[in-house]
Amino acid sequence: MLFGKRKKEQLHKGDIFLTRGIYLKKPTMQNGNIVVNCFLRSVIVCMLVFGSVGGFLSSFDISYNMGLVLISYLVLSTYFSFLYATSKMIYRDLGYILFFGVFVVAIYFYRVYANSGFYAVVNRILQRAQSYFDLSGVQEYEVQIDNPYTTIAIVAIFVGMVMIIVLNIWMYSTMSLGWTVLFTFPILLIPLYMERTPAALYSMALCIGYIAVMVFKGNGHFVVFAWDTPFRVKGFKKNHVTYTQDAGIFRQVLGTFTVMFFCMVILVELLIPVAQFNGFFKKDTLRDRTKETIGNFILLGFEGLYNHYSSVGGMSGGKLGGVSTVRADYRTDLIVTYTPYSVEGVYLKGYTGGRYGDNQWESIYGDATEYVSEGERPYAGLSDTEIFQEESLKNEVTYLQDKRESGDEYSADGIMEVRNMGANVAYLYYPYYTAFPDYSIYNNHSLMPTSQGIALYDTKKYHYYPKVVWEPEFGNQYPTQMDVSKIDEVFLEVPEKNQEIIKTECERIGLTDSMTENEILQTVKDYFQDNIPYTLKPGATPRDADFINYFLTKNRKGYCAHFASAATLIFRQMGIPARYVEGYAFSLEAALTSEIDDSKDYYRYYNGYSMIGESAVLDVEVNDSMAHAWVEVYVDGFGWKVVEVTPSSMEESDEEDFWSAFSGSWRYSGEDTVLDDIPQVSEIDLTDYLFVVYIILSVFLGFMLLAFGKMAWRKGKRYQKCHQKNQIEALIALYADVCDRIRVCDVSFDACKSHMEQLRYMVDHYAVEVDIQECSHCLEQISYSENMITEEQVQMLRMHVIQIRKALWKSVPFCKKIKLLMR
Amino acid sequence: MKFRKIRNILRYLFAFALNVYIMVIFHSYINFLLMIGMILFPVYSVIALMRVKKTMEFHITMPVEPMEKKDEVKVYFRIKNNTFFPIVNATIRLTVENPFYGYEGDHDLNMPMRARTETNVSYPLQMDYCGRLLVCAKQITLMDLTGMFETKLKIHEEKECLILPKGELRNQEAGQLYLKGVSEAVESKEKGYDFSEVSGIREYIPGDKLQNIHWKLSVKKDELMVKERISVSAMQLNVVVELANDNEMRLESVLELTDSITKSFVQQNLPFTLFYYSMNLKELVGTYIGNEVERQEWFSGVLYDKSYANAGIVEEMYLQEVPNESTYLYIGYPGTTEEENVVYGNQGVVAVLK
Repeated sequence: MLFGKRKKEQLHKGDIFLTRGIYLKKPTMQNGNIVVNCFLRSVIVCMLVFGSVGGFLSSFDISYNMGLVLISYLVLSTYFSFLYATSKMIYRDLGYILFFGVFVVAIYFYRVYANSGFYAVVNRILQRAQSYFDLSGVQEYEVQIDNPYTTIAIVAIFVGMVMIIVLNIWMYSTMSLGWTVLFTFPILLIPLYMERTPAALYSMALCIGYIAVMVFKGNGHFVVFAWDTPFRVKGFKKNHVTYTQDAGIFRQVLGTFTVMFFCMVILVELLIPVAQFNGFFKKDTLRDRTKETIGNFILLGFEGLYNHYSSVGGMSGGKLGGVSTVRADYRTDLIVTYTPYSVEGVYLKGYTGGRYGDNQWESIYGDATEYVSEGERPYAGLSDTEIFQEESLKNEVTYLQDKRESGDEYSADGIMEVRNMGANVAYLYYPYYTAFPDYSIYNNHSLMPTSQGIALYDTKKYHYYPKVVWEPEFGNQYPTQMDVSKIDEVFLEVPEKNQEIIKTECERIGLTDSMTENEILQTVKDYFQDNIPYTLKPGATPRDADFINYFLTKNRKGYCAHFASAATLIFRQMGIPARYVEGYAFSLEAALTSEIDDSKDYYRYYNGYSMIGESAVLDVEVNDSMAHAWVEVYVDGFGWKVVEVTPSSMEESDEEDFWSAFSGSWRYSGEDTVLDDIPQVSEIDLTDYLFVVYIILSVFLGFMLLAFGKMAWRKGKRYQKCHQKNQIEALIALYADVCDRIRVCDVSFDACKSHMEQLRYMVDHYAVEVDIQECSHCLEQISYSENMITEEQVQMLRMHVIQIRKALWKSVPFCKKIKLLMR
Repeated sequence: MKFRKIRNILRYLFAFALNVYIMVIFHSYINFLLMIGMILFPVYSVIALMRVKKTMEFHITMPVEPMEKKDEVKVYFRIKNNTFFPIVNATIRLTVENPFYGYEGDHDLNMPMRARTETNVSYPLQMDYCGRLLVCAKQITLMDLTGMFETKLKIHEEKECLILPKGELRNQEAGQLYLKGVSEAVESKEKGYDFSEVSGIREYIPGDKLQNIHWKLSVKKDELMVKERISVSAMQLNVVVELANDNEMRLESVLELTDSITKSFVQQNLPFTLFYYSMNLKELVGTYIGNEVERQEWFSGVLYDKSYANAGIVEEMYLQEVPNESTYLYIGYPGTTEEENVVYGNQGVVAVLK
């Protein structure tokens, strides 16, 4: 339209100007060519999508109705290909609306199939992931229709359909390899990561598709629409004519690729099979560095990405505060063989904490190096054997043994076998009221060189005397009336820095001296249940903060360790001897999901009173999600008993979303936290993320560089054209550039069709003094011929154009200036 | 082309590097296959390119008969690929030219080359002006399938087609001018004489006057035969044609008027001699025209010549070289004074007796 060719173009509308007086006429596109072209293009799209989706499914050995999928892809890609190439926009719009209608109806009627197919695929991936990442506890989805052959085909069609719609647009607009790869390849990264390889057929389809896109893009023969002419003009001077009516070449090239890649794939697979190929790689840096993170992600979702440390399920040995989020690995830690006898859960005692300080519960054995004098140590003067008798509640066991021997109605005894499958080997994990045959050979203290827990894959057999029914008189005393003379004073000790907060908390809970022990226990339990939410994601405790104080004052949410620790101090404050215990606990419900061992005799494992009657011998798999902390309180007249103060996890509050949690974790890692002091529980190690960050940054920078490079290249090219030796051509380019700039700032400029109108617009909007008549005339002249205006006129025109460009820059707002710069 | 090649090389290298990266990172077999493909494919592509270059053939076909301006002139580019390798990008450097006016333009035609067949591209051209439509292919650049390698092949294939003016018959006006211009002819015409004699017999071609048909011979041979006449008049009309052009392309109108007038003369069997200034020969050229064939030959000759810028040169030369002739018919641009015995053409061009 520019440069005065308007009149000529009206005479030769659509014709291509070759030289003065000679035009290339505009012939109409042959329908046959459009049809073949559209079909071949749809074949490429079909190959890419089939290669991508089918490759994904084949990688996981998922069988599906391939014929149905392939035909659907071909039909859909052909439909969209023709739709996109139609001559009128209205047809395209109607076509999309029609399709959308059909899609909505289809998804409505086949939603159950699609859901089932989707879950079937996810389940298969999870199965593979489970074995590949060695994950336990991966939950599978329930599939409504158990016909994966069809349901997976349906979901593959739905997924492929979306890809076809998007790819088809790229195929027609830019034939961009980058976008094609971006749409089709990432889906394959999942199986590739898990070292699964797509079947050769799909690899071939995908390779042919990519190469075809690259070739057609590289050669520029890809844009064909029904409204096109067989000749497409390109180039700044419009002197490059491309003959686009060449569907035959599409067919031949595709045929060539197919033959070539077919032969190549067969040959390569014969010469270098997958196994041999995998042998080329000695190191596996990516998987080594990311396997755990990806495994976490599969197990926990996004939480697994930022909660990046080794499993913190299981025992912490009384160390508190460093765990932002409790994440279990769901691996089996113990296998417990026993017979259920009560609706109450089973507690397997591991670690017993005595004194609280520096955000940890010290062992009741104490560490000689941690105490100023021997006298400060709990049970000072006692041997390890004596301490273990105290810890393992020998007195209480003796009491229960006596009861059992005397034939008490509610007494019982049983055998519990505990096999260590991966739990911390420092501890014994014994049930409450276990009678050890020889207390001298045990001590349950990980810090001592003679410590003796259950070795890995070793089984300990415990003879225990469960206390199924509690006599009503136990715990009915006021704490002040309790005889605690036999109890080490450590179990009544509240550290000074906790005293004020604990007192305040006692008041807040409503504890008074007039309450009996049982009333205090119940009130605290109820209060925690009603007022402090349970969560596995409480966040880490800041370095200078006390774990219990921070929990009771600021955070007021937590998991079992928080509740047990706080309750222990609260009970002590109220005069009840209490101690913090860690171990494993499982409910009757969890036990009942385990396998029954029919080969074992019930009575060999349990005798006496059972709350639930005669049950069976069960092999309970205890994983680290069952690791627990609780409180032992002293009951006058009996001894130590378990008190469960942790609220039900059903009350868990997870108000944090992913990003806030992530930012929170990040923030904590930046502040001083107690994490450095606690080696067993780790924080987010940013160095582990660095390579991921580097990759993301590299990709981002790459894109930015590419974008800036393209921009600079365009600018350079424009500059070159505007400053070329041929002054007339340079002037034309300069004027075109200015018109383009104005168009960027104001689309209404497009309405100006002639040079006269354009110049008038410029004069009106940018207040420049230009002889419109003269300039318009000159522009008309130079548009027709090589040199038909004088040197002076060229200079004058150039000056005016530059003047307009400057005026434009001055007059546009900042955002438009950015747009102009990015042009 | 150069930019595209560099861009394609960079794109290919980037894609290759990305593919290798993914292959190494993921130990991906599919990327390994793709990598092998990406190595082999350029090799295959270059070999194919070389094979095609060696064996390809290229031809241009254009109408042999002269066409009239604004007619669609079908040019065919026929490129034959004798190999099994298709080439997507064959770029032919074309020059399209009208030497009469000196208009010339270069452009590239990019077309594919199918394997084992001849790709025939119909290239419909249209000329707005009279002259010679000259299409010349100088070079073919073949690009391989990857778009990274190219090879050039020097050729020189040239074809042309004459584009003649399209003047309307103006028998009455032309006849009157002729009568006034040739007084002797006027008298003889009134008496029914013909100042020409038969020089030969030939077959009838459309446009021949009925009175020239040799009826007796036609009956004998069972096809129309025509008597070819040459003028024996010493007082035939001289027609001086101005071939000077200006910015408004009025030479087109001059040629159209010349076509109209001369066609009318021939149809009325009025002999004349056409004079024009030849830029090629740098001299005045006079040609006796007695029939349509001679008239068309003259036009062809003129269109092989070139137009010029300075109006008046032909009259000047004519008056110098043919001083004895008193009256002549000038077809060209009007003078400053009003003239009698004028026939007007488009854009104010005139045929005037001088």
